[in-house]
Amino acid sequence: MRPAGGPPPKISLPDIRHVVAVASGKGGVGKSTVAANLALTLARNGGRVGLLDADIYGPSIPIMMGIACPVDQATTPLPLERHGLKLMSIGFVVPPERAVIWRGPMVDRALRQFLTDLHWGALDYLIIDLPPGTGDAQLTLTQNAPLTGAVIVTTPQDVSLVDARKGLEMFREVRVPVLGIVENMSYFVGDDGKRYEIFRHGGGRKLAEAAQVPFLGDIPIDPRVAECGDVGEPIVVRHPDSPVALAYRALADNVVAQLANTSEPELPEVQF
Amino acid sequence: MTVPAPSPHLPRSLRREGDFLLIEWSDGWVGRVSWKRLRDECPCAGCREEKNQPPDPFRLLKPSELVPLAPVSMPRVGNYAYKVIWSDGHNTGIYTLEHLRKLCEPVSSTQP
Repeated sequence: MRPAGGPPPKISLPDIRHVVAVASGKGGVGKSTVAANLALTLARNGGRVGLLDADIYGPSIPIMMGIACPVDQATTPLPLERHGLKLMSIGFVVPPERAVIWRGPMVDRALRQFLTDLHWGALDYLIIDLPPGTGDAQLTLTQNAPLTGAVIVTTPQDVSLVDARKGLEMFREVRVPVLGIVENMSYFVGDDGKRYEIFRHGGGRKLAEAAQVPFLGDIPIDPRVAECGDVGEPIVVRHPDSPVALAYRALADNVVAQLANTSEPELPEVQF
Repeated sequence: MTVPAPSPHLPRSLRREGDFLLIEWSDGWVGRVSWKRLRDECPCAGCREEKNQPPDPFRLLKPSELVPLAPVSMPRVGNYAYKVIWSDGHNTGIYTLEHLRKLCEPVSSTQP
């Protein structure tokens, strides 16, 4: 039985009302896009919002938000502000061409620093864009950070739903409330106004029903989402009246409603 | 597609009573587990690996192992588990609520 040093302290974020993880079991489902546009919509509704990119190995937020990296911390204090959000990403401090090759403890340390060493100020929502899977970043945050809840992102295909279910089960096992499921790339609205279900449709709702968690909404696919992300101006900013932006408004309303209903009792302390 | 619901058993209170940890559960059942058993059942990777090894006949005891082992504290891990900080510094075992429930022996007439 191996002796070891003391455990790292739990992360306390008393000035942040809700800490919401945006997660998926699988990569490529548009999790960062959902996290960014959800955060922006909450801010446009009047909330004070931060967005933390917890994907240490593949940060997406700098490009999506149009931040030239690495930033000069002498002139640009972190978290930096853009589009009304407070933002932090490993991409702000590491040159884009450099790979971050870290084992779990380094990921743990970086995330702790992002949460506790930066001055986030008072926030209504801190949205955390998690990397795909159920690995180190997820464990660090669920074991140490005061998460209010998690939003699970999936696409309609079975291959995504299977992994979304794993992500959902992880949050359940660690007793972080699952606020609900979002189906991204759910359908396409053509120029003819018709709705095309390119990757099928309804899998997210079925998973939500099976898991007895809320279905938070479906987000249509629109080529402009990728274009906007690549030029650093997310679609809810650039095309605020598009069907996608309207879907994000509904999603944000549903997330806020679920947060109001969420109350997971804290575990009691052990009396010694 | 079915997704299992989380375990409904939550601890209402936990307290140290001498050589035991006493847990009152949300369903009214009261159980206890000795600290020795908790340490023997430590779920950390190091302890699990050690249990699978044959005993080392030449193992030397460290000074910290010469004094009786005792729990120092038992902080919460997230909202789903506890860890025990032992007097020898060992602290890597994370005991989920399900694991604690399984380790508990009854001290009241109510069975789990």
